[in-house]
Amino acid sequence: MHSIFTLIISHRRFFSLLLTSFLSLLMITSSPVKQEETLRFLSMTVFFPLQVVLSQTTKIGNIFGENRKLKAEVVRLSAAVAELREESLENQRLRDMLDLADNFDYNLLPVRVIAQDPSPALRSIVVTAGATDSIAMWMPLVNERGVVGKVVQVMPRISLVQLLRDPSNRTGVLFCRTRATGILETEDGHDFFVQCRNHEPIEVGDTIVTSGLGGIYPRGLNVGVVKKIEKDPDPLFKQIAVALSVDFNHIEELFIMRLSPQWSAFRSELDSIEFDND
Amino acid sequence: MISTLRWTGLFILVFILQTTLIPVITVFGVRPDLLIVTLFFLAVKKGGSAAVFTGFLIGLAQDFYSPQILGQNALAKSVVGYFAGIFNEKVMRLDPFIQLVLLFTSFIIHDTIYYTVEMVQNGTPLQTVGTRLITTTMLRAVYSLFFALIPTFRELLFTSDYRR
Repeated sequence: MHSIFTLIISHRRFFSLLLTSFLSLLMITSSPVKQEETLRFLSMTVFFPLQVVLSQTTKIGNIFGENRKLKAEVVRLSAAVAELREESLENQRLRDMLDLADNFDYNLLPVRVIAQDPSPALRSIVVTAGATDSIAMWMPLVNERGVVGKVVQVMPRISLVQLLRDPSNRTGVLFCRTRATGILETEDGHDFFVQCRNHEPIEVGDTIVTSGLGGIYPRGLNVGVVKKIEKDPDPLFKQIAVALSVDFNHIEELFIMRLSPQWSAFRSELDSIEFDND
Repeated sequence: MISTLRWTGLFILVFILQTTLIPVITVFGVRPDLLIVTLFFLAVKKGGSAAVFTGFLIGLAQDFYSPQILGQNALAKSVVGYFAGIFNEKVMRLDPFIQLVLLFTSFIIHDTIYYTVEMVQNGTPLQTVGTRLITTTMLRAVYSLFFALIPTFRELLFTSDYRR
């Protein structure tokens, strides 16, 4: 007996293999029912601790997966919230516009900006209304803040609008408090000024509206406020720097004022004027 | 005792990794087998009999969690433990490169037994087994060897008990 133990101890690696191989082969060759029983036995005894550890790990893995899903859901909901916020802002803008519309007697047509001048100067935009909507040249565009520009080209369904900030644009304006008139100009599309006679008591903060004298914009449309008063090279005048009310970088919904230029009634008389070129 | 606990903990950790994280890094259907790598180094450190029983148990655990033929992995890993135990460092000191070659051989032995059992039990054609051995096993062995080369992994496994 002792010699057998000695033999086993001295060749324990081989006997270990023999034992495990025997057990393995026993399991391999056993019937499916027997294998099922063995599995059930193993799950309740040998692998129970391992099963607990693995189930916890799987749970942690599930938590990570759940976390990922929740993050994706948060992103989706954030996008939805942003969309709703955008719609809310749009709604507010449109409400403001409707208030504006109430203040005027003109026939206002709501339009959307679909394209804009790609250059940094941003001189013009394209809006979603054209000849089919009874849009004609020189019709003014406004938004809730004030005057934006005028239609300079009409196509069947779209129109090109020259913005107030276009350096080639000249707009007749009126200082509300002093009733002084002038012409709004710009050289770069950023800094706007009105040349005004020196004796006019204009102050910073004075409101400026369209004068209606240019014939295109009706009188009283909001243009901006006096930002700064500067000296003009001509000692008889001063330069009034103006801050425009409309933010041209954020214009989306506008109204076209469907009215003819005030001088259109005199078109035949104007056309009949012959200029002497000599 | 501490060493035994350390190895037990390591095997549990590797088993968890093998069942959870390793499937994520499957490349062209080939995934490394960290259990064989760990078993090989256990055999080198602790000797054959420990490796045979450990191989049997972890093989059984694999069979338990992916039951196709109960005992298939247990047998294959027992034999790998026995084979690797021959090169116990208490008996002979081997160059790390040689150890990697032996580890590669362990994969071949493991899969040969594994597929042979499958062939006998399920009637898988010999040609299929041969193809799998040439393609899948080789790639799996090479892929697994990269993990044996990871310094921390190696350090953890190579830190000899009698060197401490």
